[in-house]
Order: sequence, then C-alpha cells, then structure tokens
Amino acid sequence: MGIRAWRNKDRYYRLVGSRCTKCGAEYFPPVYRCRKCGCETVEDKEMPKEGAIMTYTQLHEPLPGFEAQAPFYLAVVKLSNGARVLAQLVDSPDEAVKTGAKVKATVRRVRVDGDSGLITYGYKFIVEG
Amino acid sequence: MARSKVYVASVGLTKVGDQWGKSLLDLAVEAARGAMKGAPRVKPQQVIVGNMFSAVGASQEHLGALVASALGLAGTPAFKVESACSSGGSAFHVAYSLVGAGALDSALVVGVEKMRDLEPEEVSEALAMAESAEYTQFVGATFAALNGLLARYYMEQYDVSRDELSAIPVIDHANAVAAEHAQFRRAITPEVVNRSAMVADPLRLFDCAPVGDGSAAVLLVGEAAASGAKGRLAEVLGGRVATGEFSVYERDDMLDFAATREAFKGAMAQAGLSPKKLRFAEIHDAFSVVGALALEAMGFSKRGRGAKDASDGMYRAGSELPINTFGGLKARGHPVGATGVYQVAEAYLQVTGQAGKNQVPGADYGVAHNIGGVDTTSVVHVLGRGA
Repeated sequence: MGIRAWRNKDRYYRLVGSRCTKCGAEYFPPVYRCRKCGCETVEDKEMPKEGAIMTYTQLHEPLPGFEAQAPFYLAVVKLSNGARVLAQLVDSPDEAVKTGAKVKATVRRVRVDGDSGLITYGYKFIVEG
Repeated sequence: MARSKVYVASVGLTKVGDQWGKSLLDLAVEAARGAMKGAPRVKPQQVIVGNMFSAVGASQEHLGALVASALGLAGTPAFKVESACSSGGSAFHVAYSLVGAGALDSALVVGVEKMRDLEPEEVSEALAMAESAEYTQFVGATFAALNGLLARYYMEQYDVSRDELSAIPVIDHANAVAAEHAQFRRAITPEVVNRSAMVADPLRLFDCAPVGDGSAAVLLVGEAAASGAKGRLAEVLGGRVATGEFSVYERDDMLDFAATREAFKGAMAQAGLSPKKLRFAEIHDAFSVVGALALEAMGFSKRGRGAKDASDGMYRAGSELPINTFGGLKARGHPVGATGVYQVAEAYLQVTGQAGKNQVPGADYGVAHNIGGVDTTSVVHVLGRGA
C-alpha cells in the first residue's frame, strides 16, 4: 500500500482527476480517454470539493484495515462539475445522511495497515449541516 | 475456419457449501470425473479452469496444469480463465468458441472455488479485488457495499419496496428445496429476508449470495466427437461476453446493465432465437438488486419492474419464464469462479430432461447468465435440446 498511496498522493489528498482537452468533461477517478467524446488527450485537473449525495449505504461488514471505523457510510457523490466519486462520509450524523444532501471534501485517515501500522490518508466527505 | 455445432455432452457437480474435508483440487477432480464419466469415450483435447481467487483462497495458482495432471490428462493443453465472478462463464465461453471454431473437437471446463477456508473478512477482501484497487477498495468499499449503494438508488428511483426486493431470494430458496447440489435447501418468506442482519444498508444477509465451496464441470464436444458421447446432448446455440464501464459509479446510468443487455442480445442473435422461445433463465443474482436489474437488461421485465414483477409472481416455478431453477446464486450457492459452470450444467439438465424434481416442462431452450463485478463483465449462453 505504501508506494501505491505515494504514487497517488495528488489523487488522494487533492482529488486530482482528469479533464478532457477537447470537450472539457471532467472525471474522478482519472481516465485514460474521455468517455463522452473519445478524445485520448486528457490532463490532470483538481476537482471541486463540493457535491451532493446520489446514493449511499452504511457498511456493517468492513474490509481488513477498516474495522475501527465500522459501521460507516459510503456514498456516490456527484461533484459540482458532474464527476462522480465513491467515498466515505465522515463527521455526518445519521439524520443528515440522505440522497441529495450537500457534501464537501476533506482529508482524513483512510486505513491503518494491521501488520506494518502504516497509515494511509485520503479524501472523505462531510455532509454540510 | 469451418464452424462446428457445439454440444454439452455431460456434466458433473459437487454439492455447494461447507466442504471442510475437501481441498480445491479435491472438488475440481470430483466434478471433472463426474463429467468425464458421462462420456467415457471422449478424451478432452483441452482443459479450461474457471476460478476467481485460488491464489488468495488456497495459495494456489497454475490451476490448468494442476487439474489436468490430477485427472491423468498430462500432455493436454490447460489453463485458467479469470473474470471475477464470471470466471466460470468466461471459461465456458473460451471452450465454446474454440470448439465452435473447429480448433478443438472436445474440451473440459471445470469451474471451482474454495471460499470457506477463509475468514469472512478475507472473503470480502478477495471479492473486492473484482473492483478498482486504487479507487474502490481504497475507500473501504466491499462488493456488498457497491451493491448496497445500487440497491438504494434502485429502490428510490423506482419506488421499489422492501418486500418487492425480497421476491427473488424467495424464488431462489423455493427452487433449491429439491436441488441436491444446492447449499440452502429450505423455503423462506419475504419476512425472513426483511429481518435478516444488515450487511450494507439496505441490503441484508438474505439479499446476498452465501459463501460456499464448490465445483462444476461440463464436457463440450463438436460435431466430430459428438458420436462418442453416450448421454443426451444439449446444443450450445449462441454465446456472447460483453464488458461495461468498469465501476458502476462511473456509469451515466447506474441502473442500466449495459453489458448484460449486449451479451444477451448477441447470444440470442447468434442462436437465431426469439426471447419468447426461452422456457427458463439461470440468472446471476449475487444480490437481489442484481437479479432485478439483470431481468430488466435482458428485456424480460421493463425498467424498474424486475423486482416488482418477481413479487407479482413472474419468474417463479410454474410461470412462463421460471428463473434459477435449482436455486440460483442465493440458494444453490455462489462459489464464485464455479457459478457460471453450475448455471450451464443446470441448463444442460433442463434441456435434456434430466432435471428431476426441478424439471421445467417443455424446457426446449434456456439461457445461462453470469456476471463479474457489478455487471462489469457479462456472459450469456443459450442452450437448446441437441439433435
């Protein structure tokens, strides 16, 4: 996980995704080609940090490395530029988590590796109150 | 190249479930011997193993040679095919394509998965490998979580109730009661689904296919080898594999199973068959919501109607198009890399009239539909009664 997280640090800390140089469509996760116009020249682009919940779930049976956080919310967030991000919700009371709720991005501890103790940080979203 | 007709000559199945006393290879050999016994004069010219995560589940790769060698088939070409939960369907498709192209006269397809040696969280970790390591596993999303997100979206977009979502698991369990190889052979009510433990809200335990060990094998023959088969033949009339945008959350329309739509259309076109001719469908319902969306993508139900139609009585035994005639993924079980081969074997038993208490009357044609990921890979084959 160490090198992979380092390689993706701009993606994970600043939500750097892709922008199509031809039609301007923006994506997160980054893409190799534009899904809208097929253009293969895409550039890195930092995503806006605001969006809204399209759908969500509360996960009760987590993956190894996420036990301490369970149960936690995961949501598909539609950012203000139209890009879709799958992310955890954090610091968001149960009653605030609903479809359509506005959210903003933050950086948090994502995972703690059980064997090495390595901590990985990355994007999560907070429901705006 | 000359195209040959392709037949399933025989099948072998192990019981799905807790096979504590049997290894991955024990299971594969048991199923493969079952299939080979049904056509003793046919020597497979190729062994193809369908499997998703033997490296994680059994510390074992190189399954092609491992299985071929154990069967006394050293010298025979052999390899493994992987496409997550559709590994079995994909393995079958490779064999079907090679025999159909005339490159082989016969092929043995063995789907196998050993899941129960792992702890539950290790199974979740292995299944999550079907999804993006960098952006889906990274945020802690399990496979069940992705389907939970999808289920909520489906229920909100189409006003689907909890009871309606429970209908497909109920059908599966009813059909598994008489199925000897099924993991869970007892009927349930929607209440049982509705009150089971929450896994990934709104999905509960009984919305989700169980964890189990199992292996299924089928022996395929072309026209040249068909005379060597002693049992009844099922003809594979068409087959297609399609892929979709990789992650469900990246798709413009998350509720459109485009890969399944394409695979079904392609397979039916190759078979030259109208969907109205189908008498049963073995569908991939790893989660209740997936079964509903698959029925919609194949056009059996209108958009938003898959779960509602199931709840209204379509798709159950005795209906015009029964699904999952031996229990489907929920009740027959879902040993992931083996599932697609189980489906084809069950379709073989139906069209050849060997389905026993599970026999669909007049089952001349049926489909087997197998998914990897959240409709990321979709595999559809059409089987019919052989000449």
